[in-house]
Amino acid sequence: MSAAQHQALVLGGASFVAFVFFLCFLLPSRRTEFSVFAACNLLFVALMFGAVAFVDLSGGRTEILVAVMTELPVVLIVAWVCLALAGGLPARLGTLPAEPVARRPGLRAILASAPLVLLLSVVLATIVGLVWPSPAMRVYAPAPPHFLVLKALIMVPEGLYSGVAALVFVMAGRAPGLKRRIYFKNLAFAVGMACISFIAAGSTVFAGLRVWLPGGDRRAILETLNTLEACLAITCILAFTVGLSLRYTPAIATTLLHRLQTGWLHAQEQFESLEWQAVSGGATDKLTHASDAVVEACRIKGLSESDTQKALATIRLVAVMKDPSGETQHITPEAARKLYELQEEILCDDVLASKISWAAGWRSRGREPQTVKSAPLHDALEAALDLVGYHGESGGARARPLWYCIVAVSAADAKMIDRSRVTMQLRDGAGHREALEAYGAARRSLRMLDALRRRMEGRQE
Amino acid sequence: MKVDPPKRDLPGPFFSKMAGFWRPLRNLGAAQARVDGPRSLLTAAEFQEELAILGLSGQRFEPEDYMDALGEYLDISIVVHVIPDSWYPELSRQLANSGRLGELRYSEQMNMAAIFVPGSLPPLVLTLTILHELGHLAAGDLLIEPDEDEQHAEGAKFATLPLKKGRRLARGYPFADESLREHEANLRASYALFAGCLGDDNPHAYEMYDVL
Repeated sequence: MSAAQHQALVLGGASFVAFVFFLCFLLPSRRTEFSVFAACNLLFVALMFGAVAFVDLSGGRTEILVAVMTELPVVLIVAWVCLALAGGLPARLGTLPAEPVARRPGLRAILASAPLVLLLSVVLATIVGLVWPSPAMRVYAPAPPHFLVLKALIMVPEGLYSGVAALVFVMAGRAPGLKRRIYFKNLAFAVGMACISFIAAGSTVFAGLRVWLPGGDRRAILETLNTLEACLAITCILAFTVGLSLRYTPAIATTLLHRLQTGWLHAQEQFESLEWQAVSGGATDKLTHASDAVVEACRIKGLSESDTQKALATIRLVAVMKDPSGETQHITPEAARKLYELQEEILCDDVLASKISWAAGWRSRGREPQTVKSAPLHDALEAALDLVGYHGESGGARARPLWYCIVAVSAADAKMIDRSRVTMQLRDGAGHREALEAYGAARRSLRMLDALRRRMEGRQE
Repeated sequence: MKVDPPKRDLPGPFFSKMAGFWRPLRNLGAAQARVDGPRSLLTAAEFQEELAILGLSGQRFEPEDYMDALGEYLDISIVVHVIPDSWYPELSRQLANSGRLGELRYSEQMNMAAIFVPGSLPPLVLTLTILHELGHLAAGDLLIEPDEDEQHAEGAKFATLPLKKGRRLARGYPFADESLREHEANLRASYALFAGCLGDDNPHAYEMYDVL
């Protein structure tokens, strides 16, 4: 067996082992389009090197075709990787570019050009090889200068593109706050692509040595280069295998996120904006008076801002649900119940519930952001559904917070809900009595304020 | 949204021709190759690409950060005015009666955009309204050149309109249909809200570091 056949056997064996590993372990657990493509390439490479090792393919143009065919899988892998990094793959295979590439249009254009440039260079190299045949498969034999042209045509662009891809993987891996697994994955791919780049550079040097180095020294240097190339090829295969084996599953699934966007967020925004439009666009006097009284009663009882906001949101909801206008016809007890259930679904997931938050106001970084749980709407929905008698368990044995009692008293006084229902729900407890007192005091002070304002207006006239 | 176009007093034909050559170069930095013809609505993945261009992908961010990054990218000054109801009580009433929640004004001459929102909006709606208006800026909706020709949607893709000068972040041209532009601005707002909340837990952000 010649040295060239021995090297082909080593590379073919390594490729075949990697193919078996892909087939038995990687593809069943982590099948991506790229891993399937890589497995097919490995099989092709193994077959090609096997053919070179066991069948004498030397001589003339056959030798050129075999040499080009053994390079083709690597060229295809480099083209795929570059296109994937540029986000240029067909939609079915994922169109997102790597994060460092998205920010650099020049880099993106370079990577996106890889398939075209590489395939063109392979075609050109094949033409050169077929027109001027050279001993491409006899690795230690002296070669004519056009052999270097043939090699360089393929290896220079391949080396450059794989070098750029390795750099992009390093940049992606260095992103701050990246999960460790993704970091190692990018590192593995960077090593793999760097190996391809070094192999390409080594092959070009190798071809140059075959052309220009005299016979005595050539053999020893070429043997060393050959061993180095085989080591790099095995490292490359191992690095890609490690990279493809590393799997990271995000804590929040894309499908769940989509459901939240189209379900919960859409419903909550519509609910709150329609309610705001109804209130701001000149809601009924009944609501204006009731909400003023509720806020005043909460102030009298010294309730927190959060409880006051809940009370205000509840009285508005009750008013809109009981007296829907053209715009607020969508704010029905059924819709409120649905939104409440969506919120409960989010609250069941601790990770999600803690992450989804929004600012309490514009440029309010100092203030605590609102969450589904802390926003007034969640408790307000439950309370409003209870008050309009749409909640599943409205049989009022539960202890109610004072803000709820104030809203109930106010809503009953404004004839939004039935007074007897409130009495039954609150069962004349201490909270109910306190709410009645506070509400009465609030009404009196609002009446006094109103009278004062009218008197002032009269004087001005 | 309202646009104040500048008064042009320069020799028109020459400059408009030059602008035609300059346009593709100016838009080189935007998200991937331009989609000039009909296109489908923005996806969360495509939005992630826009965030990457702004340097916000995989990070937790507030609407203010998005606004600052967008303003820097578009090279315009963006200001948000949250108007307290006590200042202009009529603003809320008028907006509410017109079915709108905020107003975006854009002046090409002054190179600035101003967003007006009433202070009485609930916090979530306020955040989404500001992000919605920023979404119009990102999409380049204010740069459209009205087209008299009737345009038809092809399958799930919708007709778009060409643009006059000015930068935009989006890959595709704005939709010809106003309701679609509004819908896409809503989508951008919801994507931005979730991306800002989730940071590196956003599954779309992770896709950009795991392309193979």
